[in-house]
Amino acid sequence: MSAVSSTGWLYGAIQKRRNRGLGGLYLVVAAFLVLYAVLFPGILSVGGFSKFTQNWFPLALVTMAQALLMLNGGITLAIGPLVSLGAVIAATTMEGVFGVPGGFVAVALAGLAIGAVTGVIVAHLRLPAIIVTLAGSFIITGVALILLPRPGGFIPDWLSNGLAGHTPVAFLLLVVILLGWKAFLATPLGLGIYAAGDNPVGAFRSGVPVERAKVVAFALSGLLAALAGLFVAAQTGSGDPIIGTPFTLNSIAAAVLGGVGFLGGKGTMRGAICGSLLLSVMINVMFFLGFPPVAQYVAQGLIIVGAVAVPELLGAWRARR
Amino acid sequence: MNAVRSLFRNPPLLTFVLVALVWLVASLTLHGFGAYGHLRYLLELAAVIGIVAAGQTLVILMGGIDLSVGAVITVTAILLPLLSPAWDPTGLAGIVLALAIATGIGVLNGAGAAYLRVPPIIMTLAMATFLQGLLVIVAGGSAVTVSNPAVILLGQARPFGIPAGVILWVVVSAAVLLLIHRMPIGARFLALGANPLAARLSGVSVTRNTLILYALSGFFAGLAGILVLGMNRQGYVGIGDPYLLTSIAAVVLGGTSILGGRGTYAGTIPGAILLVTTTALITVVNASPGWRSIMFGTLILALLLVSGREARR
Repeated sequence: MSAVSSTGWLYGAIQKRRNRGLGGLYLVVAAFLVLYAVLFPGILSVGGFSKFTQNWFPLALVTMAQALLMLNGGITLAIGPLVSLGAVIAATTMEGVFGVPGGFVAVALAGLAIGAVTGVIVAHLRLPAIIVTLAGSFIITGVALILLPRPGGFIPDWLSNGLAGHTPVAFLLLVVILLGWKAFLATPLGLGIYAAGDNPVGAFRSGVPVERAKVVAFALSGLLAALAGLFVAAQTGSGDPIIGTPFTLNSIAAAVLGGVGFLGGKGTMRGAICGSLLLSVMINVMFFLGFPPVAQYVAQGLIIVGAVAVPELLGAWRARR
Repeated sequence: MNAVRSLFRNPPLLTFVLVALVWLVASLTLHGFGAYGHLRYLLELAAVIGIVAAGQTLVILMGGIDLSVGAVITVTAILLPLLSPAWDPTGLAGIVLALAIATGIGVLNGAGAAYLRVPPIIMTLAMATFLQGLLVIVAGGSAVTVSNPAVILLGQARPFGIPAGVILWVVVSAAVLLLIHRMPIGARFLALGANPLAARLSGVSVTRNTLILYALSGFFAGLAGILVLGMNRQGYVGIGDPYLLTSIAAVVLGGTSILGGRGTYAGTIPGAILLVTTTALITVVNASPGWRSIMFGTLILALLLVSGREARR
């Protein structure tokens, strides 16, 4: 009995420590959400909440895909093309003989397979992830362009309405995916992804299959990005071979806003999710306040730098005192 | 056998040999590839990538990366025609102004990385996003035509049959190679890339060198922007976009470690030529844009397997 409570205490302490650096982020996100609710009370209705979460959902998925790799000490520049490819595959397969389930399976398999191949190249051929995914982004874009040279394809209406209609399905899906991540993190392999990112040699000596963890991280990342593409296709009702382009940078920005470090092992998935929420709210607020798209770019650039710089400066200032 | 082994240990030489092989095979099999005019044209295109990659090489050697070079090229190409004053018949004032702006953008990148401690990848990315927005405000999205005589001369002149752009590239190459291998500051850059902590403890100023490096990267990107403008005679939003990824690819193909501390600009030079050659060969095949993109990505991956491998840890 006492053993259980002591592990419970330990768990609480660890969680507290992992949340420590995130207090400021939680506050900023909460402040932005309150501001948003004051500006646009519509968000408090079911329909408004659904629309809001639907705008956030794909960004949350790609941020998870990016954070997963950054926690493992990698990075991917192929998120955007993977989202496009997911959307294109969904839009071209769902009218085929296997229908919507076939489309889902095709998107999931494509994401997993591409991710796994990238992971094998990075882990076993020892090429830097940033360059491999850069080259991969050309290949994936090419495949998407061949499958669907111009926007089009077909997504059944009921699927679009189900995923991106007036119900908060997207939010529930996100909760399920986050619970899944939580459960995965409790498995040795899930923990191994973190450990291998933090200290590859130490993890290897403690029996973590470092290379396999890396391949799994890339495969899961590919799966999440491709699924985000499926959702985007359902949202827009068609496929578009270049629709995913902005997601590459936004996924990195959101993960970094959420305190995920580039060197692996530093940061948490909940931070990354908060980062994506913050970015999504900021984009929404600027859009609704009638900022021209141009000013949105300028503001986004400034905010990203500010969000990374302020905690650093505060830390340096605190250390000096 | 020993010669082959030492060749594989020397990435710059290996990349040079690859270029020579590709040129030889392509000249023998493809009609018109080996013509002097065509090879000269390839070198002219490679000069732009090579000049951008000069700054990129320096930054990557120090363990950073500059994702804003594409945006800087676009900024210079669009601002230069607007900045060139009418009272200056040579057009040099416009060039100096444009280069100053490009260098200033680089200094801002460096300041963000050095003082605000923003990771370079984020700082330069945010800068690119920022510039993208700013440009549309300034230029309104339309193309601008250049009438600056010095820029046109740079883009079109061929003294002794050699394009001025290639001559510029040779000058840049000599300067950068001297900087990296024969000057104390080059040794400092390499030291910072190899082991920042040890370099700092040995008295190398991280702040100062970061500022200098990103300023140089901005300067070279601006120089490339002027060259592109001269070759195209028009500047438009997005003109610099293709050069971001190709500049990084050229650096890595040349055997420079993306993690910093190891490499040389001597590898980037053949890397740039190799990239342009592959693109030219892909265009010859006359495939759809999708297939062209796939071939380009696959070729980069394949070339990486030959020359870009990180050392076993």
